[in-house]
Amino acid sequence: MAEEEFERLVEAFYMPLYRFGLSLSRNESDASDLTQQTFQTWATKGHQLRDRSKAKTWLFTTLYRAFLAQKRHRDRFVGMEEDEQFEEPSSLTPSVVDALDARAVQDALLALEERYRAPVTLFYMKQLSYREIAEILQIPIGTVMSRISRGKAALRERLTDAADTEERKVIPLKEDTGNG
Amino acid sequence: MDDQVVRSLLSVYRAGEAEASEGRFAEARKQSESDPVLARWWAKEQLLDEIIGEKLQSAPVPAGLRPRLLSQDRPVVTTYRDWGRKLTLIAAAIVILAVLFSSWRGPFQPAVTLAEYRDEMVSFVKVDPSLAVETSDFGRIASYLEKAGSPAGLSLPQGLRKMEPAGCRTLRFRGHDVSLVCFRRGGGKLIHLFVVDQAALPRLRKGESREFKQEGDWMTAMWMEGNQAYLVAIEGNRAALEKYLESS
Repeated sequence: MAEEEFERLVEAFYMPLYRFGLSLSRNESDASDLTQQTFQTWATKGHQLRDRSKAKTWLFTTLYRAFLAQKRHRDRFVGMEEDEQFEEPSSLTPSVVDALDARAVQDALLALEERYRAPVTLFYMKQLSYREIAEILQIPIGTVMSRISRGKAALRERLTDAADTEERKVIPLKEDTGNG
Repeated sequence: MDDQVVRSLLSVYRAGEAEASEGRFAEARKQSESDPVLARWWAKEQLLDEIIGEKLQSAPVPAGLRPRLLSQDRPVVTTYRDWGRKLTLIAAAIVILAVLFSSWRGPFQPAVTLAEYRDEMVSFVKVDPSLAVETSDFGRIASYLEKAGSPAGLSLPQGLRKMEPAGCRTLRFRGHDVSLVCFRRGGGKLIHLFVVDQAALPRLRKGESREFKQEGDWMTAMWMEGNQAYLVAIEGNRAALEKYLESS
């Protein structure tokens, strides 16, 4: 029973957990380790969770805590908090983003400040409500929304830059000089 | 509501969220429906989010990760029925012991609760906590705590008031909000002040002198002020802590 549940949780959540881990650590190997550590914690402590419907939030919270524990030697604080304000997104168009490859979009996300990366990643995953995101990141729901708003605006600026760079990479064909 | 406000609100609007029915979101939605320019902008925004989301979800996951996860140690197989019976017996035994203990050692009962609180709070700051607000402006800290619904209106000892604040955050203890305010004390170290409503520690007595306790490398002091329970923790000894608690 517990084994079946474990496999079911791995199948359902290892990819979103890995992507969440990647957005936090910005390192593929660390993201894999964080995912593995999360399921190891589930294997030893998961049975303590009384409300099994909370398994998803529990896994994301566990991964986030594991990340915070790992980074404690790198920096002490997450930085200056902002007021709960929302940003109007930039004027990026869908066709520009559609032309970018997934890697470029992911790189733009990973370039965001940490405080924005985590909520924006969870927002685009579409698996968690704002309330659940607030619970995982241990911040008020208003702060979750303001970080998502600001994070999305920052992400779009970076995507605009990425699109400009892509455009510059296209080498124009040599013009026919008409001498031949 | 002007267009810019509408657009910024819609940037975080999600149908089905409890917050989506809040007045300001509902108003923004209504306005976007009646204004063709806003309606077009909103449709484009949703499409953009859709594409970004799809791109992010299509980013590759290492091929070896899934087998690695499935080959690791599995949970110990224990049925809920077994656990249920064991837990019921344990809970019954705890209740009986608690009743016996409280009738026998009633006056000492609060110390157990206080020790739990102290242990949990000190454990929390042993790993540098992330702060929701990093600022040296105490007014901003007070305002954040008040807005977060956590204990605010703090009454600080003079010694602590002289220290530069580093920031604050909130946490929970047994269903109660706890305010954590950190102050800088030099050498990269911090003073951690926890404040919780008296209701969290119902038997903590008012007017008693500060209770100092050493927790490994940490020294703590605890006292009541008004309706709030204060706990200060630092790495160091009692003498080091006492200088931050001077009243004049």
